Amino acid sequence: MITATLSSPPRPDVRAAVRSVALAGNPNSGKTTLFNALTGLHQKVANYPGVTVERKSGRCLLPGESVATEIIDLPGTYSLIASSPDERVTANVLFGRQDQVRLPDAVVVVIDASNLPRSLYLVTQLIDCGRPLVVALNMSDIAARRGLVVDHAALERILGVSVIPMVSHHRRGLADLMRALTCARVPAGVSWPLPQPLLTQMRTLGAALGPDAGAIGGTAHRLLIGDLDGELGNVAMTHAAALAEASRSLAGQGVDAVEADITARYRWIDTVVEQVVVRQPSAERRSLTERVDSLLMHPVLGLVIFTLVMALVFISVFWIAQPLMDGLQDGITRIGAFITAHLADGPLKSLLTDGIIKGVGSVVVFIPQIAILFLFLAILEDSGYLARAAFLMDRILAKVGLHGKSFIPLLSSFACAIPGIMATRTIENRKDRLATILVAPFMSCSARLPVYILLIESCFYPVLPARYQAVGKGLIMLGCYVLGIVAAGGIAWLFRHSLLRREVRSSFILEMPSYKLPQFSEVARQMWVNSSKFLTKAGTVIFAFAVLLWAAMYWPRLPQESAQHVAAQVASLPSAEANVSLDERIADAQQSAQISQSYAGKFGHAIAPALAPIGADWKTGIGLVGAFAAREVFVSTLGIVYGVGDTEERGTGRLSAQLQRDHRENGLKVWSPLAATSILVWFVLAMQCMSTVAVVRRETGGWGWAIAMLVFMNALAYVSCLGIYQIGSRIWGG
Amino acid sequence: MVKAVTAPVTLDTVAIGQSARVRTVHGTDHIRRRLLEMGLCPEVEVEVLRRAPLGDPIELRVRGYLLSVRGDHARQVEMHPPGSA
Repeated sequence: MITATLSSPPRPDVRAAVRSVALAGNPNSGKTTLFNALTGLHQKVANYPGVTVERKSGRCLLPGESVATEIIDLPGTYSLIASSPDERVTANVLFGRQDQVRLPDAVVVVIDASNLPRSLYLVTQLIDCGRPLVVALNMSDIAARRGLVVDHAALERILGVSVIPMVSHHRRGLADLMRALTCARVPAGVSWPLPQPLLTQMRTLGAALGPDAGAIGGTAHRLLIGDLDGELGNVAMTHAAALAEASRSLAGQGVDAVEADITARYRWIDTVVEQVVVRQPSAERRSLTERVDSLLMHPVLGLVIFTLVMALVFISVFWIAQPLMDGLQDGITRIGAFITAHLADGPLKSLLTDGIIKGVGSVVVFIPQIAILFLFLAILEDSGYLARAAFLMDRILAKVGLHGKSFIPLLSSFACAIPGIMATRTIENRKDRLATILVAPFMSCSARLPVYILLIESCFYPVLPARYQAVGKGLIMLGCYVLGIVAAGGIAWLFRHSLLRREVRSSFILEMPSYKLPQFSEVARQMWVNSSKFLTKAGTVIFAFAVLLWAAMYWPRLPQESAQHVAAQVASLPSAEANVSLDERIADAQQSAQISQSYAGKFGHAIAPALAPIGADWKTGIGLVGAFAAREVFVSTLGIVYGVGDTEERGTGRLSAQLQRDHRENGLKVWSPLAATSILVWFVLAMQCMSTVAVVRRETGGWGWAIAMLVFMNALAYVSCLGIYQIGSRIWGG
Repeated sequence: MVKAVTAPVTLDTVAIGQSARVRTVHGTDHIRRRLLEMGLCPEVEVEVLRRAPLGDPIELRVRGYLLSVRGDHARQVEMHPPGSA
């Protein structure tokens, strides 16, 4: 506190303005909730340059300030000696070496009262860091339930900086914190005894490095404890000999700098905890979290519950979303019909209905599913169950070189690979994360489902014996999913033994946070942020491809005489379907002729020679072009090619019948079960979704992996289909 | 009680429900540093709470919170024999 005297009244204008404040803290410390409370809706989410780490910042008007202060929510971190890109960003910002981020004027460190020792470890590093500091003491309510009361005034005396008790989700303590920020102090006079040999070497090495380099928290200290981030890496290189000499000397005295430094901090922390924590006889012998865990992490029951929870999430994503998706689809079809009725035929009408409205439609129908998926992900994360899922699944995934934390992203990918890939951000190790991203699209996403259903119904249903039809259909569908999972496992294993071989050991050192009830506002915010990210990042690509595809199918126009020729031909033939009017049949046939000679059609014809060895013809080729916008577009494109009109409006019944009727020149069926198997396998394994490629580029920070994924998945798919069709047709014939 | 001097006890061999104190953490890599930083320093008491269904990872209670580590990380942590003062 600054005491004002008569001669010098308080003059807040003299004090330097607090222009930016960084929020630091362990993961699960309630930091993000505090950030939201401080900044409200004035938030910006972007990426730090060059890395896929989110840069969350917002504005907050502190008392006595005339301009709003920038609040930066740093990624959660256990240590300022980084072991992941997230932690590296945090350290870089706090040491003022992060591009495009100014050194914060003050730092708030959020500490967890129920987890004081480990929280204080980060505090000791921040003390070394030397920035003005304010401590936000969070989660006192949980600590109290365990019989731990933290004397914040005592802690304040020891640390020499403000310690503000708060319950951030009740906004308690917020005003105090904001006031404390305007007069944040650099911690002074706090120290923990380091072993004499270490101090000696710090001084010796420091003298070689330059002025002040030998101080506690100085360059020599940080080099000796193995901090090589930023400019320290260069210093270590230029002074390699002196550094090696210091380490050798320490080893000779039986001192390991890393262990000595960390142990010294924890010894000091133990004495601090002794002084500030008042233990009260707790009502609970075991914490609530431990009692819940003895059920949820039980070797047998835990797995049963885990399976049920995941099944529930998965089924809900489809069940709850389905009516919403149907409703949206219906609404979009109606808008299309309205425009059809009120606009004259021509490119404009076609662009609006078949290009723009269908494009928007194919994005919008995904939204309910994506939003619900993000909702569940947020609930799992906020409740603390996500860490348990990783714990339960780590061993199985580690066998193919993935990580416990890969499980939820892979599960999400069964709905859509894009949220799955976005969810891999929690995986610290870059190679673990890359491997997960690269195999996520093998999970059969919901956009493949309409294709599976069409092919299974049209091509396998009729050939299965009547009493096994239902079972057979189910088994083939299951086979598609299993094939994707097996491919993912195999490819992950291959990558981990080749390109993504580990230089550093993969680690699983994971805190199991206390369970808590998910907060509605936090969960809703997460869902909103992620869903809008999906719309902007994936939606735009899907939409752009839909419009592009429309143009490729609309031009060049079918010449007038060809259209008339088609009409005459249809009129001369007897109708196979009594319920379809002649006009409709003519329109459908003309549409089919149009697409066949359009640019998309020409492309389909051009790739036909490559498709023949895998059992497909040019019609499938056009369908595959359609699938590049989104996989389910394959079905509607095929509908147009086969002259049965728009399957979105009229269902796939007529298309199924047409597929059955289609024969090759040699009299064999085009859609024989073998050919259908080949195309099914193609859809399981191939990478056709351009929005996924765009998201992979964004999440891996470059085109390299995105293009590699596009190439290897499609190559794998082609080779597999080739094997199936070539071997199959030799055994069973076409 | 007389105990034969055998191979050092490591954290991965401590039975479920047992507690033991850390003697030292071996290794030179980032995993060793992180284990120490998470509070697994010499002389701290660690309780093994459970193992995941396939025996790995292991869940521990250390310094009043719950921490999971893989078995091969736990092998780096040398313990004082359980029950020794």
